[in-house]
Order: sequence, then C-alpha cells, then structure tokens
Amino acid sequence: MSLTSAHGAPHSDTTAIQSATIQTRDWLIAAAAAIVALIALYAVFMDNGSLISATGDYLHEFAHDGRHLFGAPCH
Amino acid sequence: MLPLLGRGLVAGGLGGLAAGLFSLLLAEPLMDKAIRAEEARSHEHEPAGGAVQHHEELFSRSTQHAGLVIALVVAGLAIGVLFAVAYALVHRRDPRGNPWPRALAFCAAAFCAVSLFPALRYPAAPPGVGDAGTVGDRQQMWLGAVVIGVLGMFLVWQVYVRLAPRAVPVRQGAAALTAALVLVLLWALPDNPDPVPVSATLLWDFRMLSLASHVLLWAVFAAVFGGLGLRAVRAQAPVAAGEADGKPEPADYGSVAPVR
Repeated sequence: MSLTSAHGAPHSDTTAIQSATIQTRDWLIAAAAAIVALIALYAVFMDNGSLISATGDYLHEFAHDGRHLFGAPCH
Repeated sequence: MLPLLGRGLVAGGLGGLAAGLFSLLLAEPLMDKAIRAEEARSHEHEPAGGAVQHHEELFSRSTQHAGLVIALVVAGLAIGVLFAVAYALVHRRDPRGNPWPRALAFCAAAFCAVSLFPALRYPAAPPGVGDAGTVGDRQQMWLGAVVIGVLGMFLVWQVYVRLAPRAVPVRQGAAALTAALVLVLLWALPDNPDPVPVSATLLWDFRMLSLASHVLLWAVFAAVFGGLGLRAVRAQAPVAAGEADGKPEPADYGSVAPVR
C-alpha cells in the first residue's frame, strides 16, 4: 500500500509531516488551478469586452460560436 | 490530488475536442444559415444603409469556426480542473473506491448540473437570437441556473449519502425526487426576455445539436477520466499485492466478470 503513511500509522513523525506538507502543497496547487479555470471559463463564456477591449469584444467574438453552441448568453 | 488534476485536464481536453469537432461538422452549417437569415432580416428592417448592424465583424466566419473548437477545448480543460477538485473533495474520506463507476456517476451529476438543467431552463439559441441590451441580465440568469444546478446536485448527493441506512428504493427515490425539485426550482428564475425570430425547425435542430454536443463532452469525459483512473489502479495493484503476499494479482476493478 503506497499511501499507508498518509492514512495509517506513520513510520515516523518525519514521514507524517512530509506527507501532510505534500498534501497541503497539492491542495494549494489545486486551488490555484481552480482559480485559473474559473478565469478561463469567464473569458470563454461571460466576457463582453471587459478583459480585452481595445476596440471591441475580441474574446466574445472569437468564442462567439462556442458560446451559442454551449448555451451561454450571447448577442 | 495532482494525478486527479492531470486526469481531469486530459479528459476535459479530449471531451471539449470531441464536442468541438462534432459541432464544427454538424452545428456550424446551421449557425452559418442562422447568420445569413439574420442578415436578411436586418436588411429588410433597415433598407436605408443599415445604421444598426448586428455587430462589428471582428473575425471572419472561418476564424469563428476555429474559435468554436478552441473555445470548447479551453472550456473542457477548465471544466476538467474544477471536476477533479470537486471529485477529490467529495471522495476525500475514501479515495480508493472503484474509479470507473465513480467517474460515470460524477459525470452524470455534472451533466445534469451544468448542461442539462440550465439547458432546460434557458435553451441554447442560434446566432441572431439575443439582444445585446439584455446580455448582462441573461448572463446572471444563466449563471444562476448553473449555480442552482451544481448546489442542487450536491444536495441530491447528500440526500443519497444520509439515507444510507434505508432501503435502496427509498434512497434512490428520495434522490430522484430531490433532483426533480431542483429542476422545478429553476423556474423561480425569470424568463429569457428576448424574442426568438427564427424558424422553429432551425431552433429545434440547433438546440438538439447543442444538447448532443454537451452529451458528447460528458460521455468522452467520463470514459477518459474513469479509464485513466482504472489504469492508475492497475499500475499500483501488482506492487501492493506483491508487498502483501509476494504474488502479483490482477486488479479488482475494471473487469465485470472474472477473466479466465
């Protein structure tokens, strides 16, 4: 069982601390990835020119067909 | 956690790609037709030079065709990340369950939460439908439908878990009833205010294709996510079994009948 140290009796305090640190690190990476994912979803499905809007709705128009197809509101 | 994120990214990317290519082949001809019909309509209403155009054409139609596939792949990757995080949170107390039925059940719930329920309340509309003036309101309604869908599916799961001591028909019946109530709750949201000035046939075909691409996305997602999960279990199993009694054994998961 490769994950025994994370759940069952640890071999020593050091391994327990190490596995807890690795778990915390992994959850932080996951949280950061989730934030990036939410920004990406906003850019694809919700943006109406507030992210890149030099002269127009670049993101909106580029993802235009995808928005319609996915059922996201569009104009 | 990180292997789950990787599986979510691969499954989401492939699911988005499948949905994107499917709709590039089948839905784009319909969208091009809808845009031509829209242009014809706006010419009828403004014969004197068309001061009020639909929108500035920043990109050609062929660029927007490519944009469809890219948008769905990006959305698939992002959905894969969020899916993996939710999957890890829900299964954090028992991360070793059979990954195949778990992936199928989780994808079915996610399909209802973010695809089917919002699509039943606010069905997809082809290009040419949708007033730029109401887009902010419609986005809030759509987001509300997605949030109600996700929280609702979480509630369904809680009902199912908390009724664990009861008989299976009671659990499943209560979970189904909860899902139905969540669906009804979506009608507490305001109606889509926009008129739909396109032919009923085009509208129906477009909505069916939209739903079909959602189904395809989640089907591919479930197969890839579950399949990669099974592969990871198989890769670990001989090591674990070998540690236990020195004799490698085949993995428990992934085979319906004993392999002989």
